[in-house]
Amino acid sequence: MKSGVYFCNCGTNISDRIDSNRVRESLAASGRIAYFKTCPFLCSEEGKSFLEQDLRDEQPDRIVIAACSPREHEATFMRVMGQAGMNPYLMQMVNIREQIAWVTEDPEKAAKKAALALKAALKRVELHEMLEKQELEASPAVLVIGAGPAGLKAALTLAEAGRKVTVVEKTPVIGGLPVLYEELFPNMECGPCMLEPLMGEILHGEHAANIELLTMAEVSEVVGYFGNFVVKVRQRPRYVDTHQCIGCGECLDPCPVSAPNPFNCGMDEKKAIGFTFMGALPSAPYLDPGLCTRFTQGSDCTACGAACPMGEGVIVYDDVEKLIERQVGAIILATGSSLYDCSGFENLGYGRLADVRTALEFERMLASNGPTAGEIVTSGGEAPASVAIVHCVGSLDDDHQPYCSGVCCQYAFKFNHLLESKLPEAEIRHLYKEIVSPGKEEYALHRAARNNPNASFIRYRDIADIAVVNEEGRQMMRFRNGNAINADLVVLCPAVVPNADAERLGAQLDVPLDRFGFFEELHGRMDSARSKMRGVYLAGACQAPTDIQRATGQGMAASGYVLSELALGRKIELDPLFASVYPERCAGCKVCMKVCPYRAIGFDAENGVAVVNAVLCHGCGTCVAACPVGAVKSNHFTNEMILVEIEGVLK
Amino acid sequence: MSDKPKLAMYWAASCGGCEIALVNIHEKILDLDAAFDFMFCPCLLDTKKSAIEALPDKGIAITLFNGAIRTTENEEMAHLLRKKSRVLIAFGSCASEGCIPGLDNLSSRHELLRTVYLDNATIDNPQEIVPSPSNAVPEGTLTLPAMGDRVRTLSQVTEVDYYIPGCPPESHQIWAVVEAVLSGAPLPPPGSVIGAGRLSVCDECARVKEDKRIERFHRNWEITPVAERCLLEQGLLCMGIATRDGCGAPCPQANMPCSGCYGPPEGTSDQGARMVAALGSILAIGDCKGKSEAEIAARVEALLDSVPDYAGSFYKYSLPGSIIGGRVSR
Repeated sequence: MKSGVYFCNCGTNISDRIDSNRVRESLAASGRIAYFKTCPFLCSEEGKSFLEQDLRDEQPDRIVIAACSPREHEATFMRVMGQAGMNPYLMQMVNIREQIAWVTEDPEKAAKKAALALKAALKRVELHEMLEKQELEASPAVLVIGAGPAGLKAALTLAEAGRKVTVVEKTPVIGGLPVLYEELFPNMECGPCMLEPLMGEILHGEHAANIELLTMAEVSEVVGYFGNFVVKVRQRPRYVDTHQCIGCGECLDPCPVSAPNPFNCGMDEKKAIGFTFMGALPSAPYLDPGLCTRFTQGSDCTACGAACPMGEGVIVYDDVEKLIERQVGAIILATGSSLYDCSGFENLGYGRLADVRTALEFERMLASNGPTAGEIVTSGGEAPASVAIVHCVGSLDDDHQPYCSGVCCQYAFKFNHLLESKLPEAEIRHLYKEIVSPGKEEYALHRAARNNPNASFIRYRDIADIAVVNEEGRQMMRFRNGNAINADLVVLCPAVVPNADAERLGAQLDVPLDRFGFFEELHGRMDSARSKMRGVYLAGACQAPTDIQRATGQGMAASGYVLSELALGRKIELDPLFASVYPERCAGCKVCMKVCPYRAIGFDAENGVAVVNAVLCHGCGTCVAACPVGAVKSNHFTNEMILVEIEGVLK
Repeated sequence: MSDKPKLAMYWAASCGGCEIALVNIHEKILDLDAAFDFMFCPCLLDTKKSAIEALPDKGIAITLFNGAIRTTENEEMAHLLRKKSRVLIAFGSCASEGCIPGLDNLSSRHELLRTVYLDNATIDNPQEIVPSPSNAVPEGTLTLPAMGDRVRTLSQVTEVDYYIPGCPPESHQIWAVVEAVLSGAPLPPPGSVIGAGRLSVCDECARVKEDKRIERFHRNWEITPVAERCLLEQGLLCMGIATRDGCGAPCPQANMPCSGCYGPPEGTSDQGARMVAALGSILAIGDCKGKSEAEIAARVEALLDSVPDYAGSFYKYSLPGSIIGGRVSR
């Protein structure tokens, strides 16, 4: 085997400390090298040309490059090798700059160390294999789960880039939580209005043909991996043809049954056929088979169908559940969040006292399309003279959620602002643990609340120090220190928590959850829009509590990842540095399965052996270390290579 | 003199279990006797060492050498039998890897003798007599083989052709080796492990394996394991994942965790290191995000505290043959 060494002087960075002649002499004795060449700057244009030409002339079987950190120039030299017609994996790089020259005073020791490191590399490189990058066909289509701001923004961005996007939304409406809010912080914009352009583009814009919107639908099964997911979606029947329906609402009144409307938090009623709220998109009602007498009693009521001005066939009584299968290359999770259950705080009286409301209920009360048409009233139908807004309910609390939910202070100050204009006489009290309101626009509502003469701020330490009580027909708030305040209406700002179905979705997609139950990001700072599963991206509050700005930003980030990692007309390139299981050596003990951080290891039950999916594998080697029988091989980092390298240094 | 090929079995530092395993082939011992001239086995026959010395070199077809190398006599016999045998087989765990006697490499010779002959509650030894190569007694001087500083494996002393693992080797595997030899089939490459499988005990263990996350270890007497489920997953320190198969997994099938007597699986060298690496990957200390170093360390510590005896668990059979080899004395 012909092995050559290229020794880079790195100007004087290396040559000042390490005498290449001494290294050459000590290696020559080993008989392992065919040639040893030095270069002033191997990474310079001249250096690269020299290397390329020299590789062509010498035609070595293996080379060792003694230079800087592989993190700096390994890829550079591998490219040069490729240009010279040599397999780039037949090289081992030795970092003699950072690890020897820069940290060894004594030139004698430095030369000796460099010779040992090179000897180890020479032994190792002999075992290197001719690895090749593999390519895989990939579907450019994308699945977006969740039609809130994050999911919609991602879907539209991808559609505009020419991608086919399937959006799966479990409710009958799109827009997520903000469409339930009449006004939004920080600039008091109307929620549905702000989202309307985006939703309009999704539904009937220039690129809407690229978007398939499946409302009332949930993912029921996912198989495959990055580039080639096969997704099954179960879509519940709407009983209304959304294409023919014009959303006039004529069908609502004739309907004989009604029940509490979950989209208004049960604060008003809704017919068996109806909208979640007026103005909801897609602009078509849905029929609830849990209420409609055709389904509950087997009646032959056709009141809604008869009232439809568009004629027969718009209301589809025999609509059925559909199982839809789609092939996609990537999946964006944008399933949003929900609010912490406040009924667990016995002292706050939520669920027991009619005038203790969550922020979401209060939002609906503030909305003109809500149960009170925008009027702020107590259960007695009166305008409250005092409103207490409790921040940090369940947040910043080790017994509940230890984190700050980030958005509550902002909407609490928005409530303050709206109360000030709707009920100018009402006393407003903010009860808080911490006030959090960073951002260039966010200070305004905070300052307005502070300047509101009717508002006061009370800091509490522990949520248990507060009790909402009903005394002599009046709702009060008592504190542990004995003080009390009037609180005709109490608004709780609960912690933002993961959606209940995050766990199921996580299991379906093999995407791990963090300790709070949000989808875990690949890296909290650098890669928060990527999950640990390749090809599955995260957007919005399903990854962490977030506001609309960050959610839409993350939706864009996720689309950016999809567009760059799943580029049109480009196959998925598989780095050959992945692990693989020798099936004839695997005893099926399953030690490796859970250690893989990328869920790349599956189990072939028929043959009783573990199998690594090369597309998902990042080549980290965790399974190689874990395998007790040595049945997992990590390309380019085999046990044999590592052992001879160690021996090369020690023996 | 018989013209059948000669078969010898020798015990060095061993317990005699290997001989019992051999005779446990039951009536097939007659077939063995029909095929071989079973001429040397100090446990069963009265052949003298001088008779072996008198044989021509390579005069014995096969020697099954069991026991580790502890004394000068063990070593001398290893060299003698190597010289006289065409095929020398390290038979059983002691000869292959050092086994239980090899755990003494964690102590010095002095500590060993003290523990056995002086600090032992059941021994009355007021004159503090400990064995030594030369012992003066009123009648003269008694000599004993000298005890080495360390226990060694057979291959650390002389060249070994094959290894039959097990403490002791399973009788059906012993017979399988005999049958293979008698069949005249070509022998496997020298240095091979024979009379065993190539995978791990898990391959032969019928217990259901699932994802492995171990939150703590239990001693065998502390829990009654669920019958069908992998013992390791239930917190019993089963060495099966890092132990060569071929035994038929009798221990885990009987609710006893494998203790590792068949040594490392094919292609791996250090059984204890393999086991530790595997366990390091599946011990569950909970979510550590945001936890302090001290708390993480305390959790790891607590989990490791439930492992009763590191060396005795992970290197019960393989300490002298392992990378660490034993305690380093300075």
